[in-house]
Amino acid sequence: MESALAARGLVKRFETVVAVAGIDLDVPAGSFYGLLGPNGAGKTTTLSMAVGLLRPDAGRVWVLGHDVWSDPSEAKALLGVLPDGVRLFDRLTGAELLAYHGLLRGMDPAVIDQRARELLDVLALASAGRTLVVDYSAGMKKKIGLACALLHAPRLLVLDEPFEAVDPVSAALIRDILQRYVAGGGTVIFSSHVMEVVERLCSHVAILADGAIKRVGTLDEVRGGRSLEDVFVEVVGGRTATGEELAWL
Amino acid sequence: MFVRLKLRMTANNFRGQPWRVALFMMGVFFGLWWAAGGFLLFAVPGLAGSEKAALLAAGFGGGALTLGWVLFPLVFFGVDETLDPARFALLPLRRRTLVAGMLAAALLGIPALATLASTAGLVLSAGALGGWTAAVTQAVGVAAGLLLCVAASRALTSAFATMLRSRRMRDLAAIALAVLAALLGPLQIGLITAAETADWDRLVGPARVVGWTPLAAAYTLGFDLAAGRGWAVPLKLAITLAATAALLWWWSWSLESAMVGGTPTAAGPRKAARGGAVDQLVPRGMRWMARNRYAALVARETRYWWRDVRRRAGLITVLVVGVFLPVMINIAGNARSPGTVSISMIFVGTLAAVTLANQFGYDGTAYGANVVAGVPGRLELRARVAAFTVYAGPLLVIVAVAMSLLLGEPTWVGLLLGTLAAAYGAGLAANLFVSILAAYALPETSNPFTINTGAGVVRSLLSLVSMLGSAAAAVPMLVAAALLGDAPAWLWLAGPIGAGYGLGATALGVYLAGDLLDRRMPELLASVTPRR
Repeated sequence: MESALAARGLVKRFETVVAVAGIDLDVPAGSFYGLLGPNGAGKTTTLSMAVGLLRPDAGRVWVLGHDVWSDPSEAKALLGVLPDGVRLFDRLTGAELLAYHGLLRGMDPAVIDQRARELLDVLALASAGRTLVVDYSAGMKKKIGLACALLHAPRLLVLDEPFEAVDPVSAALIRDILQRYVAGGGTVIFSSHVMEVVERLCSHVAILADGAIKRVGTLDEVRGGRSLEDVFVEVVGGRTATGEELAWL
Repeated sequence: MFVRLKLRMTANNFRGQPWRVALFMMGVFFGLWWAAGGFLLFAVPGLAGSEKAALLAAGFGGGALTLGWVLFPLVFFGVDETLDPARFALLPLRRRTLVAGMLAAALLGIPALATLASTAGLVLSAGALGGWTAAVTQAVGVAAGLLLCVAASRALTSAFATMLRSRRMRDLAAIALAVLAALLGPLQIGLITAAETADWDRLVGPARVVGWTPLAAAYTLGFDLAAGRGWAVPLKLAITLAATAALLWWWSWSLESAMVGGTPTAAGPRKAARGGAVDQLVPRGMRWMARNRYAALVARETRYWWRDVRRRAGLITVLVVGVFLPVMINIAGNARSPGTVSISMIFVGTLAAVTLANQFGYDGTAYGANVVAGVPGRLELRARVAAFTVYAGPLLVIVAVAMSLLLGEPTWVGLLLGTLAAAYGAGLAANLFVSILAAYALPETSNPFTINTGAGVVRSLLSLVSMLGSAAAAVPMLVAAALLGDAPAWLWLAGPIGAGYGLGATALGVYLAGDLLDRRMPELLASVTPRR
């Protein structure tokens, strides 16, 4: 089976810090892929390099067989991206923003209108009306960002922390949409440090720490009969309280 | 404790970043330069033994200095927020300790030290006029004056920051300040002209008055003593200290609300949207455009020049300066030749184009959306130029028509338009490169006046470079104007030739810079991403 996203030997250095130290990644088409890691593990850096936002120091990335850095237009057309900690063009209203993304992707205006209306309805953003995205709440911003990523019906969705700062109701809605998208033949890769979400959604998991992949495989392979959280803490090298320290608590 | 913290943070800023050190050194250099200039201005009258001039320098110079401390951070530079009060919210610190600490930390910057150095000239001046007692008194005054300056600037910016929590308020205030800032230039020119013609002796009176306001009270202490008005010294000192105390109280009060934070959620207008999403994006005047990538880019940019306050502030600057400057030069001056008019037009056209020098910085990380969508560089730049011209174009036409009417030479309109178009077009071409190669991040904070320390230097340098580059690109027009003067043929030919030259330059710029952009998109995104 062809990989929806494949990376070989990705390296990124920021000044003196090595953020990503040679990552190989294979995201099977049709999979729901979770990229787990503690803060600062290199998740955002990896995903940014995978979608063409950040030039890697070394390594190559392919989206459905198209090299992101040497054949960007083909690769990018197949991609939908929700970056984290990145502003949207937030001085537009929700509908305007969707129209902008749709036209940038070369979509037909009639299709944009129809899909934008549906997306705004489903994501409960239609009531925001002419409110500018900059005045949206954090959860609404995530939702409109997801809508922008979905609008052109990409084959691969790359989502950076899609559940960060999202309330439970919106999170359930986003989960629902993503599951439907995967069921329809799409591929999702997303980063998170919330075990429950990953455990509930993902078919494949990679655990990232210190810029390198520590464990990778299907969810069951990685778990090996234990809870994902236990595996994660063990791999990342966090400590579990023994009861000796902090006795004064 | 606060002082150490600030020094440590400044030092950490430099770690591993030679260019930051270089920028800092440049800041130091400019600071020294200003300090030396100020020192001379303040010291010379005293050493020359002229009491009147000394009073003038102290009264107006000191007053201007204090005003500058209040206004400049708001308008131009932003505050050095190395120490952000919100960060101390959770620490068990008393307000008094906090204010004292922050004040001490604020005193430890290049501007404060430069001010101290330049006002030290007053001490010398007072000493020369009234012996060492006057010098000592003046030294106390200088120290008190510096405290007042720092307290005033911190109090005002901090108060503004709290007042401007809501975005709408902030937008309005930023625009008001932009108008103010844009007016400063013309005002300055007016003052200089006034200064050249005015009778200096008549100004001594106002200088005395200013010397009694908190603005300059501290700086005139020594001269009062030297002139035998010893009774004024404690009074003026009291005025200064009272003002400082009031400002500090105000500051500590607004600090508290700054620490508590809390953004009042602006209930935006929830008018129902009409029409499809695409129709909403495209502004009414552009409905005729084909609905494609280019239209999307132009539509978004057009909306952004209006909706993004920083951009609108840029537009306002162009408008105000673009109208005032040529008027000042050509109406006030006596020489009305096509040459001088051309020069002023080149300046206006260049200024308009320089507004685009950091166009990607305005977008910040949002530019990532275009990178992900893989927008071709030439298309991107063509759309940006077109959208900006939607605003700048009519403006330049108005300037040209208004100028030709004001000069009473309606036949010059072609010449003016042509020169403007050539300078604008050539400037655009130059600034497209600047905007790609020298983009810098604008901060995304709640305080609209904050910029990172050092970025102020980059910003002024960048404007200078792009100004020079644009002006250089417009030189052929000037040469033509100088050679052909007001030959009737040139008056008529300048219009089409200038427009053609501008268009050609822009087209070439878009063509070449577009290629560059295609190669540098991720690097450009990285350079406009604020460091977190």
